Amino acid sequence: MSKANQIVEGLGGLDNIVEVEGCITRLRCEIKDAGKVNEKALKAAGAHGVVKAGSAVQVVVGPTADALAEDINDML
Amino acid sequence: MNIEILAPLDGRAMPLSEVPDPVFAAEMVGAGVAIEPLDTDDAVTVVAPVGGSIVKLHPHAAVIVTDDGTGVLLHVGIDTVGKADIFEVRAAEGDKVAAGDPLITFSPNAVRRLGLSAAVPVVVMDSAPGSARDTVSGPVTAGSVLFTT
Repeated sequence: MSKANQIVEGLGGLDNIVEVEGCITRLRCEIKDAGKVNEKALKAAGAHGVVKAGSAVQVVVGPTADALAEDINDML
Repeated sequence: MNIEILAPLDGRAMPLSEVPDPVFAAEMVGAGVAIEPLDTDDAVTVVAPVGGSIVKLHPHAAVIVTDDGTGVLLHVGIDTVGKADIFEVRAAEGDKVAAGDPLITFSPNAVRRLGLSAAVPVVVMDSAPGSARDTVSGPVTAGSVLFTT
């Protein structure tokens, strides 16, 4: 499974994702149900950290954030 | 590694833990130091903290990779993504720069008027939390040593 796929899974699947934006080192994600976000899975996918604030979830992935965001947006 | 990271602008150096952003504050992106810019409406130029290649350049942020592969990120203000109209980019992705070359020009108070922090984290990407050495705090001027990695 690609890293983008793993992150999508960690965010609770494509149906749970409203929007993903890459910002240098982090994915800024707008999600539907924060309860479906699996921090362990995101870290297993290579995330350095996960910051949740309501429906906004930031996944710190390092310099590949912009490319990953594109990959995920292609799936949405 | 023993690379000196220079202050990219004038201001007050402070630990990353004081940056109002949980990702930078916990050094999730890497270790470093932040600068709170001066209280000014004037245009301030953010300069390269190290020499190398600009691999990313957004209006509000830049990543420079040194010849030995160390990535240094600077981020101008917090949550400033998408506020491109208050930043002027002075270089281009792919450019080779020397430490001190201009990257971005902006007015610190224009950021603050948006209700945002103007803090500029300077981070060695993927470095272990707490690994920045010889960190400076207090008043700094652009081009002086900010920390060593």
